[in-house]
Amino acid sequence: MSIRKCAENNTAFRRLNDVYRNREKELLIFRENGGKVVGEIGCDVPDELVIAAGMLPVRIYADRESSLEEADKYLELSFDPVIKAQFEKLVNGSYNDLIDFLAVSNSTDVIIRTYLYLREIKRIEPDKLLPPVEFIDWLFTRKPMYKTQNEKTVKRFWETLEEWSGRKITQEDFIAAAEICNKDRAALRRISELRRAHKPRITGSEALVIIGSAFFMHRSEHAELVSQLADDAKSWPEAEGVRLFLTGSAQESAELYTLIEKSGAVVVGEDHDWGDRFSSRDCNLSYPPLQSIVDCYMLRDFSSKKALVSERVKTLDEAVDASGARGVIFYINAYEEAASWDYPSEKKSLESRGILTKAFVKMSYPVSANVGLEDKIREFTKALGGV
Amino acid sequence: MNERKNAANEPPRARKSLKATAVVSSYQKEWFTGLRARVEAGEDFAYLNADVPMEILRAMDIPFVVNQWWAAICSAKRMAPKYYGLLKEAGYRDDLCSYCATALAESLDPDDKLSGPWGGLPNPTIAITRLTCDCQSKIFELFAANHGAELYVMENTVPRSTPSKWWELAPDRWEDLYDKDRLDSAVEDLRELIAFLETKTGKKFDMKKFIEVMELVNEQEYWYKKTRDLIAETRPAPVTVVDTINAVMPAQWQRGTRWAADHAGSLYEEIKALADEGRFAVPNEKHRLMWLGRGIWHDLAFYQRFEEKYGAVFVWSMYLAMGADAYIRNNVQSDPLRALASRYIGMEDFLHMPPWNSEWFLSEARRNHIDGVVYMVPENCMQAVEGSYFIKKIMEDAGIPVLIFKADPVDAREWNRETMTGLVEDFIETRIIMGGNK
Ligand code: SF4
Repeated sequence: MSIRKCAENNTAFRRLNDVYRNREKELLIFRENGGKVVGEIGCDVPDELVIAAGMLPVRIYADRESSLEEADKYLELSFDPVIKAQFEKLVNGSYNDLIDFLAVSNSTDVIIRTYLYLREIKRIEPDKLLPPVEFIDWLFTRKPMYKTQNEKTVKRFWETLEEWSGRKITQEDFIAAAEICNKDRAALRRISELRRAHKPRITGSEALVIIGSAFFMHRSEHAELVSQLADDAKSWPEAEGVRLFLTGSAQESAELYTLIEKSGAVVVGEDHDWGDRFSSRDCNLSYPPLQSIVDCYMLRDFSSKKALVSERVKTLDEAVDASGARGVIFYINAYEEAASWDYPSEKKSLESRGILTKAFVKMSYPVSANVGLEDKIREFTKALGGV
Repeated sequence: MNERKNAANEPPRARKSLKATAVVSSYQKEWFTGLRARVEAGEDFAYLNADVPMEILRAMDIPFVVNQWWAAICSAKRMAPKYYGLLKEAGYRDDLCSYCATALAESLDPDDKLSGPWGGLPNPTIAITRLTCDCQSKIFELFAANHGAELYVMENTVPRSTPSKWWELAPDRWEDLYDKDRLDSAVEDLRELIAFLETKTGKKFDMKKFIEVMELVNEQEYWYKKTRDLIAETRPAPVTVVDTINAVMPAQWQRGTRWAADHAGSLYEEIKALADEGRFAVPNEKHRLMWLGRGIWHDLAFYQRFEEKYGAVFVWSMYLAMGADAYIRNNVQSDPLRALASRYIGMEDFLHMPPWNSEWFLSEARRNHIDGVVYMVPENCMQAVEGSYFIKKIMEDAGIPVLIFKADPVDAREWNRETMTGLVEDFIETRIIMGGNK
């Protein structure tokens, strides 16, 4: 039986896959039961705090089918297509009955602009029904003084959540929520180990479903399911194919992974925010809460958006080594420029150690809009000895 | 717009009529020669992004060059096609961040000392930038590595509160402009920068000297304010943006020196004399235009193309107006570092963030009796993505038409002068002359 078949027959995976494909299902139930939902843009919103406030954190995601009428009106050409599609849904009212509040982290320039524009739309066009918005302005440079400032930023978010939820968030609330998130991350890291194992038991496209479903359901249930799945998958068959690592734009769906895997490769790791990076660091509960959150989000693996070239080279080298990949695919959407500055140095470093790279830049969204991509990926896989 | 430029097809050079422009251009060369000599004698030399608080380096007498000024020089010398070619050869994309990556590209040129502008950029020992966009620190790190310089980066924060009319608060009530913690953290950043520079260069930061620098900046910007006001109220205008950009932008990077303050004073006196004598830049001035965005460094003559045919004159650009409104900080003595913090953290907000930029642009358009706005939005710079929808809306709601077009300030490869001229001509004819917008 193939890994795909095993997954399809697995109860835990089926539930995760259902949430991944029906991303509004859980939040609608949560709201029907009187719960409040916090939409998130950017990967650096501390979910622990949202959960501690008794609310459900969900990621805002792009809808590949929708028109971009509103986004085209407000946004300049240089907004990347995924953010554009997310913005569209926020402004055209698609989220009106789905989320109560919006938290935005400054995870990349384009998201900062998105926040500024939403704030301005709220001010000058109040008939647009946008939810209350909070901006989380991290300082990602790793200096002690910025840690202190980040603690103040997190404290403000903490207070906003108390206001939104109408309840105090106690230290115990935080610890309970952080324990859930840590448990979830630990379970996800077990999945990641199964992918990276000498004989991978989970493919990238399944992993993406397992990770991404966390963004749309109760984290405690997610942790349980992933843990169960990690146990079950140990006995799944070995995934065959050339081991590849993926870096670059976040993949909100498994479309690209499916394409890569069709070419005879297996994606054994990635460092984008809908993949392994999500679970790379826990909240250290021996620290006071604010310090614990700052430590977790400020010191995670460097993202390509908020790091120096040298930091990215080191982070990517380490991640690729840990995955045992023989090749790396750089996949960068149009107008998502920052990673392009890293690429030549990353390529040089990887290739000096015998790891081949292939860059796809200025990519259209969705993945299927890129004519000839499948053939190029197949060529690369073949060059690495795939079939 | 795919016409590639070659030497024979270069656009004509802009007409520059002011003495102050000629003075600044010869001063720059002289200053640059002196700077080179200092570097060759072994002094530390810093390369800074434009939003770095250079007043600190000025007070410490550390020679420096500003990235955007140098990019403008390289562009005016028409080096861009060669430089972006070098980027491509080295495996980088040649269509990204052209404004900020020019010096990085130049650092790849093995012939820089022979064929670079003004004998090429001397090797910096320090490279400082702020994290005002995702790419800046990467570009600076690569640049620093190519020169063997030490990299220093400063953080950036986003305002939560946006009090209206920042330009009225900035000179005296700068404390009220920002969230308190933002200012606190910027002051800490300045202290760290000073500590870094002291360690790196062995020079001492002297508060008295720093206050002198801050006062000189105030003096210089005071003259820009008077100049801006004079041009705003004089019709026809005594000068155009070609004069003011060329006189102000290079001198702004010399701010905090006696020379720059005096130069700003002489610029005002010269323009005042023109106005008093009734000597106007374009005597048949009929329509006053505002230029939004960075200057088109590779084709400054473009601004003058609409004068004869339509009497349409570009009278406003941010270069003079930012000097007038964004830099002055009175009462420096009360807390000199905080006063500087309140200057440098605001630059990004004032220029690139609605509603601060949109409201200011409208106020300036009204003050300057603007009939139409030509707004250049680069495609490859996220920092310069600044809410064009909101800017256009506030202007057009006030009856001032706006033309938005896509172009690059330093990279001439995709610039087609005729197409762009046609766009602006059409705008003047249909939106300003026939539009009845005012
Ligand atoms: S995004 Fe803009 S400001 Fe940032 S490095 Fe690129 S050109 Fe410069």
